[in-house]
Amino acid sequence: MKSAQLVASIQENIARVIKGKSRVIELAVVSLLARGHLLLEDVPGVGKTTLAHSLARSLDCSFKRIQFTSDLLPSDIVGVSIFNRQKQGFEFVPGPIFANIVLADEINRTTPKTQSSLLEAMSEAQISVDNQTYPLHQPFMVIATQNPAEYHGTFPLPESQLDRFLMRVQIGYPSPEEERKVLERPQSLHPAEALQPVATAQDVLALQQQVDDVLMEDSLLEYLLAIVLATRQSDLLSLGVSTRGALALSRAAKALAFVRGRAYCLPDDIKELAPAVLSHRIMVSRSQGLGHRSFEQSERIIQDLVESVSVPV
Amino acid sequence: MPFNQALRLSSVLLAAAAFIGLGLGANLPEWLLLLTGISLILTLLRTLDIDRFQRVFDRMRLSAMVWNILTVIAFAGFWADLLWISAELLPAGVHFLLILMVIKLFNLDQRRDYLHLYAISLMAILGSAASTTDLWYLPVFLAYLLMGVWTLLLYQLTKESGTGHSPASMTENAAVALQPGRREQITPELFWLANGLAVGALCLTVLIFFTIPRVSAGFGQKGSGEGLRTSGFSETVDLGMIGPIKRDPGIVMRVELSDRTGLQLDRFYLRGMAYDRYDGKSWTTRLAHRRALVESPAGTFSVRHISSRSPRPVGQLIRQTILLEALDTAVLFAAPHPESISGQFLAIQSDPTGAIYLPFPTSSRIEYTVHSSVTPVAPADLQSQPAVYTEVFKQHFLQIPESSERLGVLAREITQSKSSAYEKAQAVEAYLTKNYRYSLDIPSSVQTNPLEEFLFERKTGYCEHYATAMVMLLRAAGVPARLVTGFLATEWNEYGNYYLVRQRDAHAWVEIHLPNSGWVTMDPTPAVSEPSGDSQWFALSRVMDTLRLRWNRFFVQYNAADQLAVVRGLKEGTAVVRDRAWNSLSLLLAPAGDFAGKTLSYIVGGNVRLAAGFLSFVVLGVGLVIWLMQRKPWSRWRRSGPVIREHIVIGQIYRGVLKQIERHGIAKPRNATPQEFLLLVQQQWAAAAEFVATITELYCRGRFGKMILTQQEIDLAYHSLKQLTQLDPPAHT
Repeated sequence: MKSAQLVASIQENIARVIKGKSRVIELAVVSLLARGHLLLEDVPGVGKTTLAHSLARSLDCSFKRIQFTSDLLPSDIVGVSIFNRQKQGFEFVPGPIFANIVLADEINRTTPKTQSSLLEAMSEAQISVDNQTYPLHQPFMVIATQNPAEYHGTFPLPESQLDRFLMRVQIGYPSPEEERKVLERPQSLHPAEALQPVATAQDVLALQQQVDDVLMEDSLLEYLLAIVLATRQSDLLSLGVSTRGALALSRAAKALAFVRGRAYCLPDDIKELAPAVLSHRIMVSRSQGLGHRSFEQSERIIQDLVESVSVPV
Repeated sequence: MPFNQALRLSSVLLAAAAFIGLGLGANLPEWLLLLTGISLILTLLRTLDIDRFQRVFDRMRLSAMVWNILTVIAFAGFWADLLWISAELLPAGVHFLLILMVIKLFNLDQRRDYLHLYAISLMAILGSAASTTDLWYLPVFLAYLLMGVWTLLLYQLTKESGTGHSPASMTENAAVALQPGRREQITPELFWLANGLAVGALCLTVLIFFTIPRVSAGFGQKGSGEGLRTSGFSETVDLGMIGPIKRDPGIVMRVELSDRTGLQLDRFYLRGMAYDRYDGKSWTTRLAHRRALVESPAGTFSVRHISSRSPRPVGQLIRQTILLEALDTAVLFAAPHPESISGQFLAIQSDPTGAIYLPFPTSSRIEYTVHSSVTPVAPADLQSQPAVYTEVFKQHFLQIPESSERLGVLAREITQSKSSAYEKAQAVEAYLTKNYRYSLDIPSSVQTNPLEEFLFERKTGYCEHYATAMVMLLRAAGVPARLVTGFLATEWNEYGNYYLVRQRDAHAWVEIHLPNSGWVTMDPTPAVSEPSGDSQWFALSRVMDTLRLRWNRFFVQYNAADQLAVVRGLKEGTAVVRDRAWNSLSLLLAPAGDFAGKTLSYIVGGNVRLAAGFLSFVVLGVGLVIWLMQRKPWSRWRRSGPVIREHIVIGQIYRGVLKQIERHGIAKPRNATPQEFLLLVQQQWAAAAEFVATITELYCRGRFGKMILTQQEIDLAYHSLKQLTQLDPPAHT
């Protein structure tokens, strides 16, 4: 099957479950193809878990869900070495992280210690237990969700970990018509369970390889760097975008171009993705109001900065 | 078979053909033959999509680093091979080439890897050509040629299949470019077309090879035969015909002298033919029977023979190397009197007057070397009385046309007081030089008696008139004499050490016979002051001519013998080649350096104005270079990837669109992407949106996608822009 058709059918498959959210689905697929991890941030009950679930179901690859709670331990995620009496030695029992797609539900509910145990897994696609390194499955993608409305008993994610997510996406409420369609659906079966896989793990790896070959013209690279530089020089921000952030934006733009059927990036790809890819990597300076960094505020700042950079002609 | 697979197949077969060529020709070690052979077979099987071998290759997939290290090791091995093991350039290079080929075969991933493989194969086939002259090379080479045509064809086809289609296929580009195209198959038509193309090209090449002469053959050179009829290479010389030639600056030959000591610098005679009979209007020769010269040793012909009664004493020998342009004459020119001639000739002829001929005129530039002896007049001849000649000799060299009584009177008048033949000749020479005026402006009307007209009425003429008059006067006075035609070289090129001889140097002069010295050259024509050839511009033109000569010598005339020499040099070792190359280069460049040195000394010599001019020239040049370095007009093209004209064109069209729309008050915001601008246009000027959309899409593909747009697409963009300019302005709200 042609790669363009493959990408389209994955999106269609998910859209059967998540109604009226084609943009969010597209971003999820972009994260997958850019070898990135996705952070879904929204109020409960708008389909964060369902989105992750249906993406995994569409791909015919292993899927594990970890419900993060305050008493979760790192070994609950990565696995543990236990003594095997027959073999007279320790044996590693892999944890739920050993899957192609891992849903980390309500990730901000657990302690920073446990959150950090995800770090190595997310950036290096491997984990270390008892000085032993175990590679994770490929493709590997973490989809984390967090609830921004609750603050009691939550631990905001550390900066280093936020930087490891390719993008942060808000799902939002569906429109009344779409919501009506959801209600009219038979409730006996979870809609994601009914999905048939349309692509294999091998297909995904091949697609990821092809994304690397998407052309980003020199002037676009300069455009991208100008945006990154603008975040570092802005007075509104106390922390700009890191080099990892610039790299993420470039990868995401290539993946978006690929998803949209192009072998080359356009300025639109970069401009469109900048808020989703960059907004969680910055720190709004204290002059912009104390308290928590709201999703909307940082996205707006990024958007304004992008508008201040001129597009190459 | 899909294009991609076919390309891989033909690439491997191309490499295989080159390898077979090397394997049969060069003496290769068995392990190398085995290694390369196995690699080729494995790659071939892999290309045929046999899964098992595909897996073997996947397992063998080493990191790029390992391959790089292997390449470096191979390179080090090449030096070791060159210096110690084979100790010769050709075998060491061939071994290195094969190892590179093996490395590349396991690394055929990207298109540039294929290009590398082609380069290696080309060098391999060249290497095999250098190591053999056997007939089996022909089929191998033909196979290589066929595969080459196929590979180039498929390479281009697969390269373009991903780009430049209709806009509808844009969405598939990513897929097409990266996956083997399944739709594009090799049809029977294409198969026969490609093979036919290869065979046709080969036939055409063979045809051209056998019918079109070599570059050095001078086929396309200016036909210079027409005007040369009178300057000494035909059976007759009509008086008054040489005039027009004397104005032709066309180059006839170049005469290189190794040693110029003891020669008169500004007058160097190049003898063509001699004539003995004058009928009042034209000269003919009655001694035209030619005999073949004896070749001894090989390539050298001895000219010296018993043409004159008394054997000529051998004087100082001067060696001339003559590069003769293509003429329609068989006469070979040389300084009087030639002793021996050498060159690449099959046969050389000579007539009793000492003229040298080829058996037939050549159509190409030829080079030959002549040794001529220069003999001073024997002391005995300065005083002695005229000798007694045989009747046959008198018939030839004392013949005078009838009705020339005035001539006899004049001859007696001039030579009365002189006793010896040589003194008489000197007297006649001096008389003519002193009393007659040189001019080329002689009416070429039919003259009943051009000689008498010259001697007694007009007293104006040129070399032929002078020479004819002198021969006739001497014969009337009883001195045997004959007319000689050829060239008088005056233009010495000090940078290349040769005389440049032009058409206008055609000349006629006199030879008198002295009993003890033989034939002696005399010239009654006064030296004509030519336009000064000593300014710097003439020097520059001489440098240019020298470079041209060297170019001819070292590049145009590069022939099979030189080729063999190079191959031999390669086999013998690198030092020889280096020396040869260095020699050629320094020989080629020496005149330029010489010229620069002379110019410098000229400036130092006090020519202030020239120095100022030269200095300002240098300053201007340096300024220009600095300006170019700062502006970097080429940096636009130096960006990654080749910038193709279409990219620039579509960018210009898009900017034209922006300008056009801005005229109607819709400016593109600095921060708007092309798509956002398109939306803006759609909102504010719906009529223009269609055209802007078309151009925007093409622009994005060309500008950001670096795709090559077809001519139709460029035309479409132009057309849209044109329609845009013709639209009514938008109704502003």
